[in-house]
Amino acid sequence: MKTGITLALAGALLLAVSGCKTSVNSVENAQKTGQRQMVSDQRAVTDKSLAGRVSIVGVNSAMTPGGFLKVQIEVLNTTRSLQRFSYRFEWFDANGMQLTTLAPVEVPDQIQGGESKFISSVAPTPACRDFRVKFIKN
Amino acid sequence: MKNKIILPSLAAVAALIGGGCGTNAHYIQTGGSQSVVTTGAINIQDYLQAANTMTSELLASGALDKVANPPAVLAISRIVNNTAQQIDTDLLTKKIRVALLQSGKAMTTTTMGLGGTAEDPMAKGLQQENEFKADVKTTRTPDFTLSGKIIQLAVKAGNTSQSTYSFQLSLTDPKTGLAVWEGEKEITKQGTRSSVGF
Repeated sequence: MKTGITLALAGALLLAVSGCKTSVNSVENAQKTGQRQMVSDQRAVTDKSLAGRVSIVGVNSAMTPGGFLKVQIEVLNTTRSLQRFSYRFEWFDANGMQLTTLAPVEVPDQIQGGESKFISSVAPTPACRDFRVKFIKN
Repeated sequence: MKNKIILPSLAAVAALIGGGCGTNAHYIQTGGSQSVVTTGAINIQDYLQAANTMTSELLASGALDKVANPPAVLAISRIVNNTAQQIDTDLLTKKIRVALLQSGKAMTTTTMGLGGTAEDPMAKGLQQENEFKADVKTTRTPDFTLSGKIIQLAVKAGNTSQSTYSFQLSLTDPKTGLAVWEGEKEITKQGTRSSVGF
């Protein structure tokens, strides 16, 4: 009788624990046609926990037909569970002055375990030359 | 003796704990991660996110660059509110207008509006007066009109509420009547109660 209860409890516990774990499998074409223009980046990490869980794989940029700088960042969830975070793009002109058009937008996002995804943004004016992206754990 | 020391100490600890639970009014960053999140209403961070995403998409599309005399002139048409709440659609459109103006790609007319109603009646009056005096038509016809819809899709499972807000915009060329750009941003929120923070 006791063994039955113990087994049932163990099963429930296993289910509860495994329920929190989600991981993503993916497939893509091996021979890439598009070539990403990677940007050499400079990182400042103050939240090692977040940086360890949601790591930045690489940053690439391109110009839109209208002359706006577009930046794309690949992030990877190195854990097996869902991670929530927010990010905020900041833009700077040729003189290094920050450009603010709207109230800075903090975008809430989430990433499944083991998933790699891209976040991107377009500069608010063609005068933008540089950028900075801030990541915050939710 | 013991009571005289222990009781005030306990009271002080309780007051400290109790005081820590409440939050005094303070300023936060508009749309920042400390904002209140509710499932039953569109929060300011939702408007900011929708406006920012759709403005970026519109600018990146290059649709505004295809005008004879840049910057493009934009007229704001109807933005339909299909949500359960009363909202001021300027919370969305004004942000887009400001961003487009600052990008240098588009300007919005305030003397033309839906049903002939000008957003700025004084400017319209002065413009008509100037045109009458100079006997020359100076009004620039809009290159594009911006229309849209905000839709709410609410569902519930037990105590958990979920709302999806769909912000839809269309940029139409009035010469052809064709939508030259269309954008949609969906924001979904789920929870059992309102919360502070993302």
